[in-house]
Amino acid sequence: MFHKILIANRGEIALRILRTCREMGIRTVVAHSQADAGSLPVRLADESICIGPAEARQSYLNIPSIISAASITDSEAIHPGYGLLSENAAFAEICRACGITFIGPAPEAIRLMGDKAQARAMAKQAGAPVVPGSEAPLEGVDEAQVLADTIGYPIVVKAAAGGGGRGMRIVRARDMLAQAFATCQAEAAQAFGSSELYLEKFVEEARHIEVQVLGDRNGIRVHLGERDCSVQRRYQKLLEESPASAISEATRAGLYKAALTVAHSVNYISAGTVEFLVARDGSFYFIEMNTRIQVEHPVTEMVTGIDLVREQIRIASGEPLGYKQRAITLRGHAIECRINAEDPEHFVPSPGTVTTWLPPGGFGVRVDSHLMPGAVVPPYYDSLIAKIIVHGRDRAEAIARMQRALAETHVEGVKTTIPYHQKLLADPAFLSGEHTLPRLEVGP
Amino acid sequence: MAGKKRAARPAAGQQWTPKQVVDLAMAHDLAELEVESGDLRVRVVRRHPPTVAAQAAAAPAALPKAEGAERAAEAAPGTVTIEAPMVGTFYRATSPEAAPFVSEGDTIKEGQTLCIIEAMKLMNEIESKVTGRVQKIFVENAQPVEFGQPLFLVESGK
Repeated sequence: MFHKILIANRGEIALRILRTCREMGIRTVVAHSQADAGSLPVRLADESICIGPAEARQSYLNIPSIISAASITDSEAIHPGYGLLSENAAFAEICRACGITFIGPAPEAIRLMGDKAQARAMAKQAGAPVVPGSEAPLEGVDEAQVLADTIGYPIVVKAAAGGGGRGMRIVRARDMLAQAFATCQAEAAQAFGSSELYLEKFVEEARHIEVQVLGDRNGIRVHLGERDCSVQRRYQKLLEESPASAISEATRAGLYKAALTVAHSVNYISAGTVEFLVARDGSFYFIEMNTRIQVEHPVTEMVTGIDLVREQIRIASGEPLGYKQRAITLRGHAIECRINAEDPEHFVPSPGTVTTWLPPGGFGVRVDSHLMPGAVVPPYYDSLIAKIIVHGRDRAEAIARMQRALAETHVEGVKTTIPYHQKLLADPAFLSGEHTLPRLEVGP
Repeated sequence: MAGKKRAARPAAGQQWTPKQVVDLAMAHDLAELEVESGDLRVRVVRRHPPTVAAQAAAAPAALPKAEGAERAAEAAPGTVTIEAPMVGTFYRATSPEAAPFVSEGDTIKEGQTLCIIEAMKLMNEIESKVTGRVQKIFVENAQPVEFGQPLFLVESGK
């Protein structure tokens, strides 16, 4: 096992990793930017080291600085958290070349899954269903028309270089395709510098359901159930829960099987997440695999009782998983609300200094947050300031507990998304569990 | 030092102004110019020396302490802290046997190498951003340093 780990991240996830390290008796080094010098993870770390100025590009994304920090502090491994360098295959390779363990999958798996087209081809070859669509950039509108006729409308035209919902058009009828194609092409060229377009079937009223997997170096792979992340705004997840409530047991079993198929196909090691779109009729399609710990991992921890960061560290150090699928049981229902420092109506970031922070507590409530009175929410990074996670015997109990927890949470100094979450938790569509993904319906 | 010229005292009773010194240095395309005028001393160093040479690292004559020099330049007499521009291991010399780049009390010039910071097996020479005198060296040889950590305190000269 490692003696010392360098945490190359910030905010709540740096603290989350630090907590597990402490429980495992591993010393921590928090690498931080100048803007985060007074942050809670830096204060709680055994050692801290400033790696650059506030801008992430010069600090948290600065590979030479991070490697150098690991080397001068004699850290044996680097935990990249999520975002930042966590899915950077080159970084994982450099760690390997420098004799530092990257806590995550092999660079080859990161690279493969990071390339959307390759990942899709891999999943399809392995036998996981993918959304029907073009395998290569479309040659022109004629090819698009032929393909759309085969797949059936509605379809979505996507910029190859786009993402996060940008550069896409939903087309519901054949006579709208030509115009949508032209508009999308022009936009893509302007926004992404590439006018390459893809086309795929548009899955109506879909849910975003993802399966957590774990794999060790001996090829043992298990799933830890699923998370429903259908509550999104502009492709940003705002609330996640486990298990998913509105799918049949057959669909659930199918998702688990497909997720493990994808994980096996890349000999996946460490914690990873296989994402699917699930249609109303229970059919589902592979979207992508995230090769890192995810923001919403605590809901899985709450229902499985397994510390995912601990498993990542154990696996990275070469330990075997030590258990098989049948040893994993899912209990009750967990929900996570992502509290962002944002205006709850317009979702505009609200950086500033937190003057009051009163987190919720009580039975079945967990708070993952780096907040403290006087904490600065800098404008340089993402706006996540706290994750409130609750566990209940069933969904109704978890919802009631979350409503109670949000009501007692008190933050002053920055605006937060708590009012949005409170509205959501009273919304009939959410309460019934029938809610689906909002999709950008931008007409041509 | 190469490129340095002593300028004559102006008309009796008059003192050089910093601007006059700068103008003179520019007019003759000089890398460096030092003017002594009674108890005043003004020294101009150009950011980008016009020509080659200017390498003579020979025993730098330590500037006399503060006194008139800064006052003449009309700038706030001050010290400048030179911070580590990267995280790594601090070295005062190119090798354990070699003489240190600078020691406390040395006069340094802008662009002069002060130390090496090793990051990812790369030796990064850290150059001085100012001209002046090294008042204090904060870190020991071979000590790890973080980004922004103070390395040298320099009494900035003009």
